[in-house]
Amino acid sequence: MAVTRETAAAVRDVEQYKYGFVTDIESDMAPKGLNEDIVRFISAKKNEPEWMLEWRLKAYRHWLTLADEEPTWAKLHFPKINYQDSYYYAAPKREKLASLDEVDPKLLETYKKLGIPLLEQQMLAGVAVDAVFDSVSVATTYKKKLEEMGVIFMPISEAVHKHPELVKKYLGSVVPYTDNFYATLNCAVFTDGSFVYIPKGLRCPMELSTYFRINEKNTGQFERTLIIADAGSYVSYLEGCTAPQRDENQLHAAVVELIALDDAEIKYSTVQNWYPGDADGKGGIFNFVTKRGACRGKNSKIMWTQVETGSAITWKYPSCILQGDNSVGEFYSVAITNNRQQADTGTKMIHLGKGTRSKIVSKGISAGYADNTYRGLVRIGAKADGARNYTQCDSLLIGDKCGAHTVPYIETRNPSAVTEHEATTSKISDDQLFYCMQRGMNQEEAVSLIVNGFCKEVLQTLPMEFAVEAQKLVGISLEGSVG
Amino acid sequence: MKPSLITDHPFGEAYAKRLGVSPWGGNLPGPKVEEWRFTPLRSLAKIAFAPATAKVDAIPNNVPLIAGAARLVLVNGTYRKDLSTVDLGKGVEVYQGKVSAKQGSSLVALNAAYAPQSLALHVTGVAKKVIHIISISAAGSEPAVAHPRINVTAENGSSVTLLESHVGLPGQTYFSNPVASIAVGEGATVRRYVSVDEDSEAFHLATSLVNVAAGGIFEGFHLGLGGALVRQEIRVALTGENAKVHLNGAYALGGASHHDFTTVMDHQVPNCASSQVFKGVVDGESHGVYQGRIHVARDAQKTDARQVHKALFLSRGPQIDCKPELEIYADDVQCAHGAATGEIDANHLFYLAARGIDPETARSLLVEGFLADAVNEINTETVRDLFGSAISAWLKKREVRA
Repeated sequence: MAVTRETAAAVRDVEQYKYGFVTDIESDMAPKGLNEDIVRFISAKKNEPEWMLEWRLKAYRHWLTLADEEPTWAKLHFPKINYQDSYYYAAPKREKLASLDEVDPKLLETYKKLGIPLLEQQMLAGVAVDAVFDSVSVATTYKKKLEEMGVIFMPISEAVHKHPELVKKYLGSVVPYTDNFYATLNCAVFTDGSFVYIPKGLRCPMELSTYFRINEKNTGQFERTLIIADAGSYVSYLEGCTAPQRDENQLHAAVVELIALDDAEIKYSTVQNWYPGDADGKGGIFNFVTKRGACRGKNSKIMWTQVETGSAITWKYPSCILQGDNSVGEFYSVAITNNRQQADTGTKMIHLGKGTRSKIVSKGISAGYADNTYRGLVRIGAKADGARNYTQCDSLLIGDKCGAHTVPYIETRNPSAVTEHEATTSKISDDQLFYCMQRGMNQEEAVSLIVNGFCKEVLQTLPMEFAVEAQKLVGISLEGSVG
Repeated sequence: MKPSLITDHPFGEAYAKRLGVSPWGGNLPGPKVEEWRFTPLRSLAKIAFAPATAKVDAIPNNVPLIAGAARLVLVNGTYRKDLSTVDLGKGVEVYQGKVSAKQGSSLVALNAAYAPQSLALHVTGVAKKVIHIISISAAGSEPAVAHPRINVTAENGSSVTLLESHVGLPGQTYFSNPVASIAVGEGATVRRYVSVDEDSEAFHLATSLVNVAAGGIFEGFHLGLGGALVRQEIRVALTGENAKVHLNGAYALGGASHHDFTTVMDHQVPNCASSQVFKGVVDGESHGVYQGRIHVARDAQKTDARQVHKALFLSRGPQIDCKPELEIYADDVQCAHGAATGEIDANHLFYLAARGIDPETARSLLVEGFLADAVNEINTETVRDLFGSAISAWLKKREVRA
């Protein structure tokens, strides 16, 4: 019981910090820096049960041992991050809300600016929104409708209370707290995120969606998302991101875990459009994300689609562990870097089960002074009889000051497996540009059209809502890169 | 107690003194070094090697010879005039050069520190004879290490064909750490064919450093047939415009062999072309590795660089690791790479079986056909035949064992 007493005492101590919070801008903050008290504070803020706090602390203590293990293998250059110079908790101040009407109108205004009309979302058929504003879920819509069908879609902080058995069983089961530097940090200090559970045999009738947004100055965002698709179910999940302009680099280290049981299918789509920094590489988001899905059941399927146009630095490898026999993993990616942006992104396909299949289609576009790296692993285990992988990575360079790199790892332990990898690098040809411009397009329109064509294979896999947005984004991201 | 390689190797101190660096244990690439990720040196590090001093009085029988070639023999890195051909023909001279301790990887530095001398070839004109360099490692009863060093300087407009055979005396544990540096002058042509057929207990970590000047042509082919742990690292720098490089290789592994091809194709200037075809078959518990990096520098526009690696499994048990890497900083380039692994297609076997060919012969035919894609890239007929029959012999050995 000593632990409980200690914890309680710590929580009491921490509570005293409350008066020191920056609350004037309608937001609740923990003091700067990271230590065990901050971890306890976050846990206490969330009213978490003891097992959750213990898990966080275990992760935090492990993280301390990783001081020298911050990944350096990626082709990324950025100043060393001072983890003590950041806030680890900031939440929009709120009372318990019964409906959207009670949401701070200022907040709703911000969403509007971002082009996410939350109020209209309810009327928009088929999209339920779990909006995350600075780490805490503010409003969850369409909850009732989904509840009736048995779908659980709620902030993970709520799920810890309402469905502890599910959270306990699956949290950290795909990305354990020892996984990597950033994921471990996330385990210790994650504030909120989405929790989704789709019951057996249900095809989730609407696309589930979360909009993330970083608002507070100097606040690292640590989202944690957990999606479980029970046997025979299907869900499509959308994730979109925007961030306001900031001069200081902001750290974001999210973790997403997907679990697909027998015959289940999860489709996870992301459009990432965070602040990339200005043309000289000042500011911008550091995006260090661990996303991983486990195809636990036979015939299960996980499909990642990402359109990465923002962030100063992207370090992200949405992966699939293909455990179940005949399970399928797919990864479709468009990564656009312009100006001084750097992206090191790709996937891992770990084939363990028999007859597992994976497909990787990656399109990297590099402009300005940017560097864009595809880094991917395909591993075929000794028992993965008849496994199949197809990988295609294409890079497009716009301008002669940028870089495009491809670093695939292919590790095969099974003779009956077939792996194929192809990669090409090219530029927009003058002929293509000339053809478009001759037909009355200006250069930027022409580039946008050509690049959209280059990415078509990936953009097509996005749900309708995203596809339109993504196509526009592709054009906008490359503005000023030609001519 | 025997000294261990990592901490107090007998060479450690001398090495440190001569180069002013820490003993080579500290310089031996560890498992966390990205370039050595697939080829851990744990097994090598466990053995204490003494300098190789064993005597060899004849070229071993297992070295395939070609008629009309001039032979140069190295035993444990030392040039043996008595076993070599004195007359190399016109256009090429041989002498014993000094080894300069140039900067490089730890293995190159190690070689620089301990190579007794270099076998230096100076190519001044069009050399007609194939120069066959035979590097023999002989350990004796104790594990031993040797550091052969070969320097080739091909003057502008010259041309030469080199064949290298790396072998060792059977049943011995030895570590061969050869370094070859090759300078291809403007408009010169160097063809270099390397065969590594070491004993099953042997370690062989070779580094080739090639520099190709404007309009120069370098054709390299590397064959890997045996050894406990073999790595052939080939780093090519294209430093003059319109240089052309064809770098190809094949490996056939059985038992517990580990073979690693690591290539770096460094396009530093515009208008150069490089192509790479690497193919391998793996059997037993062997481990095949291919890591190829193509680097295209900022200004190296109009580069045309290609590479492909394909591997074929002959049984359950082996492992293939492949990492074809592109690092590109110029936009007007054509770069492509491809990689594939798989096993022999059952349809192909059936096709041959239906025509009355027994399964074992059919498999051999298909394997030879598979490797032929790479071997056929060899432009010198005699060498092509030689390597072709070496592969056939390897397959025969395998049949006998099976």
